[in-house]
Amino acid sequence: MSADRQQITLVVDGVEVEASEGAMLVDAAKGGDVEIPVFCYEPKLGPPVGACRMCLVEVEGIPKLQTACSTPVRDGMVVYTQTERVREAQESVVEFLLVNHPLDCPVCDKGGECPLQDIAMGWGPGRSRFTDPKRHFRKPVPLSPLVRIDRERCILCYRCVRFSQEVAEDEQLQLLERGAASYVGTYDDRPYIAPFHGNVIELCPVGALTSEAYRFRARPWDIEDAGSICTLCPSQCNVKFTVRDERVARVLARDNAEVDDGWLCDKGRFGFQMVSSAERIAEPRVAGSPADWATAVRTAAARLRDAGASTAAIVGGQATNEEGYLVQRILRRALGSQHVDSRPGGRLHAELAIGLSQPELSAPVRALDEAEAVLVVGCDPLHAMPILDLRLRKAIRRSGTRVVVASERPTALDGGAEEAARYAPGEAGAFLAALSRELASDAMPIEDDPHRADAEQIAGELRPGSTVIVWGERIGHGADGQRALEALLSCARALRCEDPAGGLIEVPDDANGRGLREVGCLPRLGPGLAETDEGMDIAEIREALTSGELDAVVLFEVDPVRELPDGPAWREALRTARTVIAVSMFDNGSTEYADVVLPAEAYAEKEGTVTHPDGRVQRLRATVPHFGDVRLGWHWLVELSALLGEETGIDSVLETLEALAAEVPFYAGLTHDEIGGRGVRWQERDAAAAFPASAGDGAASPEADSTKAVSDGIDREVLAEASGEPAPPPPAGANGALRLGTYRDLWATEVTDRNPALRFLGPRQTLELAVSDGERLGLADGDEVEVRSNGTSVRARVDLRERMRPGAAFLIEGTAADNANALAAARTVEVARIGPEAE
Amino acid sequence: MPETRLLFRHIDEPGLSSIDVYRKLGGYRTLDKAFKELEPEEVLAELENSGLRGRGGAGFSMGKKGSFLPRGEMEKYLCCNADESEPGAFKDRELMTKNPHQLIEGCAIAALAVDATYAFIFIRGEYWEVADILDRAVAEAYEAGYLGRNILGTGKRVELVVHRGAGAYICGEETALLDALEGKRGNPRLKPPFPAIQGLYGGPTLINNVETLSNVPHIVRNGADWYRRFGTEESTGTKVVSVSGHVERPGNYEIELGISSREIIYGLAGGPLEGRRVKAWFPGGSSAPVLTEDDLDLPYTFEALAKAGSMLGSGSIIVADETVSIPELALRTARFYHHESCGKCTPCREGTNWTVKMLERVVNGMGTPMDLDIISSVQENIIGHCLCVLGDSMAMPVGSMVQKFRGEFEAALEGVRVAA
Repeated sequence: MSADRQQITLVVDGVEVEASEGAMLVDAAKGGDVEIPVFCYEPKLGPPVGACRMCLVEVEGIPKLQTACSTPVRDGMVVYTQTERVREAQESVVEFLLVNHPLDCPVCDKGGECPLQDIAMGWGPGRSRFTDPKRHFRKPVPLSPLVRIDRERCILCYRCVRFSQEVAEDEQLQLLERGAASYVGTYDDRPYIAPFHGNVIELCPVGALTSEAYRFRARPWDIEDAGSICTLCPSQCNVKFTVRDERVARVLARDNAEVDDGWLCDKGRFGFQMVSSAERIAEPRVAGSPADWATAVRTAAARLRDAGASTAAIVGGQATNEEGYLVQRILRRALGSQHVDSRPGGRLHAELAIGLSQPELSAPVRALDEAEAVLVVGCDPLHAMPILDLRLRKAIRRSGTRVVVASERPTALDGGAEEAARYAPGEAGAFLAALSRELASDAMPIEDDPHRADAEQIAGELRPGSTVIVWGERIGHGADGQRALEALLSCARALRCEDPAGGLIEVPDDANGRGLREVGCLPRLGPGLAETDEGMDIAEIREALTSGELDAVVLFEVDPVRELPDGPAWREALRTARTVIAVSMFDNGSTEYADVVLPAEAYAEKEGTVTHPDGRVQRLRATVPHFGDVRLGWHWLVELSALLGEETGIDSVLETLEALAAEVPFYAGLTHDEIGGRGVRWQERDAAAAFPASAGDGAASPEADSTKAVSDGIDREVLAEASGEPAPPPPAGANGALRLGTYRDLWATEVTDRNPALRFLGPRQTLELAVSDGERLGLADGDEVEVRSNGTSVRARVDLRERMRPGAAFLIEGTAADNANALAAARTVEVARIGPEAE
Repeated sequence: MPETRLLFRHIDEPGLSSIDVYRKLGGYRTLDKAFKELEPEEVLAELENSGLRGRGGAGFSMGKKGSFLPRGEMEKYLCCNADESEPGAFKDRELMTKNPHQLIEGCAIAALAVDATYAFIFIRGEYWEVADILDRAVAEAYEAGYLGRNILGTGKRVELVVHRGAGAYICGEETALLDALEGKRGNPRLKPPFPAIQGLYGGPTLINNVETLSNVPHIVRNGADWYRRFGTEESTGTKVVSVSGHVERPGNYEIELGISSREIIYGLAGGPLEGRRVKAWFPGGSSAPVLTEDDLDLPYTFEALAKAGSMLGSGSIIVADETVSIPELALRTARFYHHESCGKCTPCREGTNWTVKMLERVVNGMGTPMDLDIISSVQENIIGHCLCVLGDSMAMPVGSMVQKFRGEFEAALEGVRVAA
């Protein structure tokens, strides 16, 4: 619709301006270098509302002044923004807005970067005729633990309310009362707690909504903006760090419609405090004692040289492509070890890794705005990649996209979805197999397939050729993972995801999951997903460390005890390992066992690139100096490599990128200049043609016959497997056993613990059960229980939920206490109440 | 000149609110004919040719508005605006209380004309008795087959729902009414899109006032030409005028448009109380700029009143005699709109607020001569700059009072100075 808009010409203040037809006048006028002042207008929030009346201008042929924010331009339109009439109207609106505004700019956080100040100066009358008392409120009061509201400063532009109602759809913010007594608030004065609510601070055109973490910390003339990428989750939102005195003081969105649409989640917005946290590891340690870098790196080199090919490395999601590349290069080239992994979920088969990443199958985030249908499978974007949640809400609201969800656990998108199907924990493969059978025109459905009815419903909502599948990497975890990914691939073929309006978007487990895979942090796939000799995956590394088969492990920005499945076993493995080298920002359950601890850079300190889940290579810029004695990650990795006898010849972060691009054929020729501030999707570059051909796919071409052959082939495989495999065990036994699923909660991460502002959000372990299971087991909301399996147990509080599949139980992974990863290997659990009588 | 009663023809008939009496008097015959014999286009053409203008205030041609609704498969809606909340207006109340079936018949025929399946009567919350009467009448109409899935066996469907508002004047503004009907806070929407294109739940929607829709059966029964015989070229038909204030016989009078205003105020309503004179009068509700004694001979038509700088509006005449202090009247008027402003747009929210503060000072003797200029200027800054017409509804009468009775405002300032 927007692509083929006609170019038209209009006249603004006597100057001819080119614009696309239907653009709003306020935007079109910018082309003629004419600024029309606005307060309420913000295209990110949806259609204009025309509430503030600031942008009144004269349009020839229309007797009344028009709001430029809501007037679409037409060819030949003649507009005046500087006439006496317009000036009077705009001055009067400024005068009205200031009637109740306290004009306390000298003590206001917004002062100096305040649209109201700027517009009052530029378009206001300069003096007020208002002499009566202004309205008063108690101020500033907390709107939430993170945001304060000063209702006297508020000009009632509705932006924050629209955000809450129409973008985040948390529907908590309201305009209360009416007329001049209106004020922004929540029902019953409850705190506004929602995962995206920090955006209202940035939307506020005055100093009414201020950040608890930034209030009174800086004035605009004290600060510098530094653009980078937030790598706290796979969303990889583009951000601006506000830097004062060499510290990050604030995070703002750096709008990039291709990535984040200009929004941030609260984790990204408030997660910066840890960058300058006093709890950070400030200097290297060897055997528990502080050491200088030279000693530490030399020690690490010596230990690794001893271990040689018996070394493994695990790379965490915060690592950049450059760091990941160097780690795997050291392992593979200097130590001759293939045991490097970055995926918590087990081995990824080469043909699936390649098949699912085919450039033509890969959809850009933007595709979500235009697709007719979106299938969200095996993830809840709100927790796994929050900004996608907003993007999908936007697609539903503004484009009428049909979103369907298939997942183990209820998702935040269920309410807006056309259909939401639940399968039992671990049954993504069976479900997707059923779905692919429904989608394949000639495949025979299996009559007694328990997933058939759901799959049929979901399939009915999907539109071949215009469906984007958003899938969680987690469906590939575990024993059933391979089958799930095979079935996913055949669904993608059946839905013609290779067509321009369709595609796949993977939600990886970790922030730079995609980039780390592509630069070679996988056991059997080297840089560029080129096949290498077999190596161990994460679970095998753990076992081999415990058994003594492996001697050393490098933990690069990963805390297996907290973040990987089977935490207690990891503790054991690290205790047993002869050498543990940990690179970490903070001390944690894993650094405890480290022989050498090297301080990691924070994301705001890093230079390098990361790859967005949709293939966009983005650049991290160092925005603040290093904390303490922290050093550039790529730099000491290069040094370590040299000490191990592998001279890289790399002397800068750019050369690291060049070296990795030389080995990743589809990154070939990437430079910092090309990546720029907005990133570049590698699928859209010529080098994409060098992506390895899909194994089952004679050629990478989406030619009809071969596509069909693949989908048929996989279908038969899946069918054979499905019919050969016994039906999954009944969901809940008479003894009360439940099938356990685990999930990553948005807030169950170290980020929450390390940022004082966010700490209140850290979740307690919660056992989610279907209401019917709660009744069956005699459990009520809030009951304290012990969840047991194979002699291990975790304490949790019961939360009975609607839309849960009976027989399923969910615990949170990665909590600071009672981490569900103690039970992750378990398939069924028992639940026992810890009542007062039991204690 | 006496009244010309079309809508009020049987208004005093005992039991008219029941379907039996209404039917005995010829009611629902037009619906029968329209549903069985007429095409929607014919009905719409008849309405358009009749020249019937909206009776809610804006005075826009009803038939033309109906013709703006796109044809096609999408769900279309009819809304009857029964949120009669303007000070001085009480005509719809009588029309609904005494003759609810006339309105229901009008709604059904109008729904047919624009192909709307769902029709709503949005009635102000304070009219709870009237809403009860409507509820009963709607139930009777369903029972008799004039509403529902299969009206009179024609296979055509109109569902009619009476929805009670929560008591906000702003919900009489058509787009705020739609938001309120959708269950949201009743705030006006930005226009365009107009409701005819994108209204209730995003579908094309025809919104008309109670009196407008009550005219529909008469026009469809007797034809546009017959209707045009009443009134003037630009203001056809009759109008129910609510006369209130300082007159001997306040009440609703149905007049033929075009008779002089004096005839209404003096002839029908009996003129001012004995020995008093008309000082100022609102010709079309409290939002119309006031006129004076000199304007009493204006023909009561949309065009004549507009030419005189005021408006016919909802047809509510409020008469103030010389005992009334104009500054106090201005304050009373401004307070109403200040109280009812929704707060969404700046000029109305802050302008009504500021105006009240200044007028309070004037009335309380705390004003300064500068205030009068600022009051006038603020009214000018409101007019034409707001999201909906509520701001203008205060600014126009208040502005007109300061302009026409400036001496009285100055005296209010001066009087206090003298007393001191």
